[in-house]
Amino acid sequence: MNWLKLISCLSLALLVIPVVLLLYEGFGPLRDPIGYGYEVFRAIELTLLSSAIAAGLCVTIFTPLAYYFARNKNSLAEALADIPASIPHPIIGVAILVIVSPLTPFGRFLLSVGINFFNTFLGLITALTIVSAPIYINSMHPFFQSMNVAHENYALGLGASKFRTFMSVVVPNSGRGILTASLIAMSRAMSEFGSISIVAYYVLQQPFYGVSPAPVLIFEYYTYYGLGPAVTASAVMILVSIAIMILLRLVKR
Amino acid sequence: MIEAAVKKKLGSFKLDANVSDEHFICLTGKNGSGKTTLLNLIGGILTPDEGHVMLNSKNITSLPIERRQVSIITPDSCIPHLDVDRHMVWGAKNKGLNIDDDYIAEIKTGLGINFDGKVRKLSLGMRERVALATSLISRPELILVDETLSNIDNRRDFIVAFKNFTMKANIDVIFTTQSPEDASEADHHYRLESGKSTRLF
Repeated sequence: MNWLKLISCLSLALLVIPVVLLLYEGFGPLRDPIGYGYEVFRAIELTLLSSAIAAGLCVTIFTPLAYYFARNKNSLAEALADIPASIPHPIIGVAILVIVSPLTPFGRFLLSVGINFFNTFLGLITALTIVSAPIYINSMHPFFQSMNVAHENYALGLGASKFRTFMSVVVPNSGRGILTASLIAMSRAMSEFGSISIVAYYVLQQPFYGVSPAPVLIFEYYTYYGLGPAVTASAVMILVSIAIMILLRLVKR
Repeated sequence: MIEAAVKKKLGSFKLDANVSDEHFICLTGKNGSGKTTLLNLIGGILTPDEGHVMLNSKNITSLPIERRQVSIITPDSCIPHLDVDRHMVWGAKNKGLNIDDDYIAEIKTGLGINFDGKVRKLSLGMRERVALATSLISRPELILVDETLSNIDNRRDFIVAFKNFTMKANIDVIFTTQSPEDASEADHHYRLESGKSTRLF
């Protein structure tokens, strides 16, 4: 075995061992029925759905921005786009609540037209989109940089507008990059806790009335019941996440 | 008729070139002599520090690529996800031109495009044939061909056929090559040395 393979195996083990240990404890010695009850599966359902929607919103809203960064050097704008990734996430939660606060005129206006982020599905998706957007942009940026600009110049020379070149040449040839980056963004959204524990500790809207996102529920189990139910619920969450990620990567191929 | 008198400094390299001719123009020179830089300046990929680019008496120096009526073809030029037939009419459709099926069939025969499939799966030479055909069908006023012809087999016949199509459609061409044989097909020949251009004929 060469040295690179050995170091790679050791570093991979560092990442995998805690997960394996948690799965073993969660389904073995520390197994607790609360950890795989109906409430846990509803929480996982909410987390998967909201994370998938957040990843979709990242693709729709932030793909043009990542492309812009790849074709135009703008350090200030790139730093601004990184802000959500570089501040503590509870701050993002607080910021989202300020937007719809009845203490501000803008917040009162949004509330008056029925837009509310506090304990709503909309608030949950908004928070997840904001925290996963920098990850998505930073994944797409090098992908677009590595794309051959000759294709775009050729399309422009054939009379296509910059918008048409982006939509008809760049995007159709970026499927693999977009899928990979959106999976990373979705993974990031699924693991979010800081902002959603403030914005959407639980959702007070059907069909998820009273359901907490999985990371919040696991934290709640830990604080109310102790380690057992939290570890079991975590193990279930990990299994479902791994299954989804493997499935999506198979689809990607 | 293309009239370009441009100066451009890129790092330590300085280009100071003039091209003023029409029809089938050949540009030769060693690697690093400035051929691609000159084509990029004419095509709008780069902006000159000084000088101007006139195409059929219109000043296109500061026009964006998509409004120049100049098609730029390098060995990588293509729209990879399209199949051959959709690729060939892509530019014409952008410009809202009528698609003449007989003309397309004539070009396919003339340029040896007797294959189909996704463009990204074609060989380099096949892809270049399709890219050149697509440009012809989109009827620009000028086609810039950068080192592309050298990858095509039966090159002499291909160049003669391509030249005939451009002459009929009244399209000027500037192509770069390392081959004296290719240059002999040109109506005019410019040589670039260390960024300086010389008109040979």
